[in-house]
Amino acid sequence: MKAALFSPVPYQGPAPRGVWPVDTQGYSAEIAERSMQLSLEQFQLADEMGFDWVTVAEHHYAPMSLTPNPMIMAGALSQRVRRAKIALLGPDIPILNPVRVAEEFAMLDTLTGGRLVAGMLRGTSNEYVTYGLNPAESRERFEEALELILKAWSEPQPFGWVGRYYEFRAISIWPKPVQQPHPPIYVSASSPESGELAARNHLSVGFAFTTVPFAKNAVQHYREQAQKYGWTPEPDDVLYRLSIHVADSDEQAIDDMVSAGQAEARTAFSTSNRAVDDTAANLGYYGRDTATQRARHAAHDLTERLELGQLVAGSPEGVLSQIRGVREELGAGILELIFQPVGRDKVLHSLDLFGEKVLPGMREL
Amino acid sequence: MNAADFREGFVEADGFRIRYREAGSGAPLVTLHGAGGMRISRSHDLLAEQHRVIVFEAPGFGESAVNERSASMKELALTMAEAATNVGLDRFSLMGNSFGGKLALWLAVQRPELLEALVLVAPAAIRPEGAQPVAPHERLGLMYAHPERQPAMLPPTPEVLAKQEALVQRLMGPPREEELEALMPGLNLPVLVLIGTRDRVIPAEMGRTYKEKLPNCQFMLVYDAAHALDADRPEAFAALVGDFLARHEAFVVKTESGLLYP
Repeated sequence: MKAALFSPVPYQGPAPRGVWPVDTQGYSAEIAERSMQLSLEQFQLADEMGFDWVTVAEHHYAPMSLTPNPMIMAGALSQRVRRAKIALLGPDIPILNPVRVAEEFAMLDTLTGGRLVAGMLRGTSNEYVTYGLNPAESRERFEEALELILKAWSEPQPFGWVGRYYEFRAISIWPKPVQQPHPPIYVSASSPESGELAARNHLSVGFAFTTVPFAKNAVQHYREQAQKYGWTPEPDDVLYRLSIHVADSDEQAIDDMVSAGQAEARTAFSTSNRAVDDTAANLGYYGRDTATQRARHAAHDLTERLELGQLVAGSPEGVLSQIRGVREELGAGILELIFQPVGRDKVLHSLDLFGEKVLPGMREL
Repeated sequence: MNAADFREGFVEADGFRIRYREAGSGAPLVTLHGAGGMRISRSHDLLAEQHRVIVFEAPGFGESAVNERSASMKELALTMAEAATNVGLDRFSLMGNSFGGKLALWLAVQRPELLEALVLVAPAAIRPEGAQPVAPHERLGLMYAHPERQPAMLPPTPEVLAKQEALVQRLMGPPREEELEALMPGLNLPVLVLIGTRDRVIPAEMGRTYKEKLPNCQFMLVYDAAHALDADRPEAFAALVGDFLARHEAFVVKTESGLLYP
């Protein structure tokens, strides 16, 4: 089993929670700068420790993430992370210019000598407010943009595109990706529609902001659909993202989280603006399985998060055993980890324990 | 403007009596149909809002007599050029679909002085090596990505289909025709090549060869359209072709304002 270190590059200072967009009244440039440096160091450390991937993502207008353009963070990482793949999970494709996305991904693949993992996501409902796009058109935009990006990567002659949502009269991107026929592409498969799209297009899938039971149903649907299209996903075609904290003992791990205020249920990013999420849901953003998709985002306390596989926490042995459980339930070949913000020293200790005592065991899974 | 507004006419050329349908006014646009015969789609209606659109029926198609006289696409192309001249056109833009695309290209390389611009729609002049010819009964299924958007049409009778099919098989030629391709680098005309991203007859990759060989070629992919892309995405198709006919290669520059509010 492979390990990825994910960080949304959070702002490491006091800031409002549970609302969106978040005001910058108390914003400190100095804290933001420090936050970015900390994340860069964390990613570099993960690379040195033998993590297979480091992962960044796109989120807007909130302190939970300082990477509204994850391509820029990945550009910085390309100069620090020497061995691990650099994954973007992802840019929010439907709200971006797909030609620009194709260009930036190709740049990153070239800068890293072919170590890019090109995630392509729809983002959460609130992201559609950011650049003023209708969330109801999200899936159609996504599907068209995906096809256009693939074409922009592969077509050797200048061409134009007459789409439904995009029109370009001349496209001929420089550079092209290093990896051929194209860098690995990961998409979400939490909804039945996205699982079907992934299966139809032979794409890998990633599950985040979900639970093991939800992901189990979704991954089964994806595998069934892939069979229908005549192929079988490998373990590495399935990624699952969860939170992690490793301490010397199980009790210590829970204590660390409780004392850092990480034990209470917290409003998810996607539901931080109820009016926005309700409106998007009514417009059809969540598709034919709306109730399940919205239930994925329910807030859970520490105990529930452990039970649902949103979090693994404990001693190295305890954590490895929880990871084994996730692996068996989902057949996922890649586990993407968010180290819990429990204070700098404890996070570093957690990373050390993980690298020394958990990662070698994960390799055997 | 709709298909009913296309009035019928006949013109003599090369000893053939050639049927055509015509609508609209403005700069003339002559169109040549595919192997399935004359078909007027919504995109023709839309183009006729700005152009004088003349849709020719090649001799041997539809209700016309069996054509055993045209020896090659090259020769049939000259017949169609004469038909256009005999309709009274000195210069015109030419558009051809599939089989008609190859015919249009043969016309262009032989009589470039007649043309303002050339539009090749899923042209059959360059086809995948080793590709099997499409059987007539399969053709309809390969035409449309969106059959639900097509108006109900009476299919040609089996006799007409058989007659057309024999002619197409006789004239179509190999997937790559050296003589034609050798003439392409010398064609000093603005050319637009359009292929649908869901075309399984002429895959989108075929477009790049036109781009390589023609000195002034624009290659456009029409998303979510199959072989009859003009019928699958008529609004997009007509807007693009209309803009190309008006501005040729300069059509890559956007001229509509992006201003939201003054």
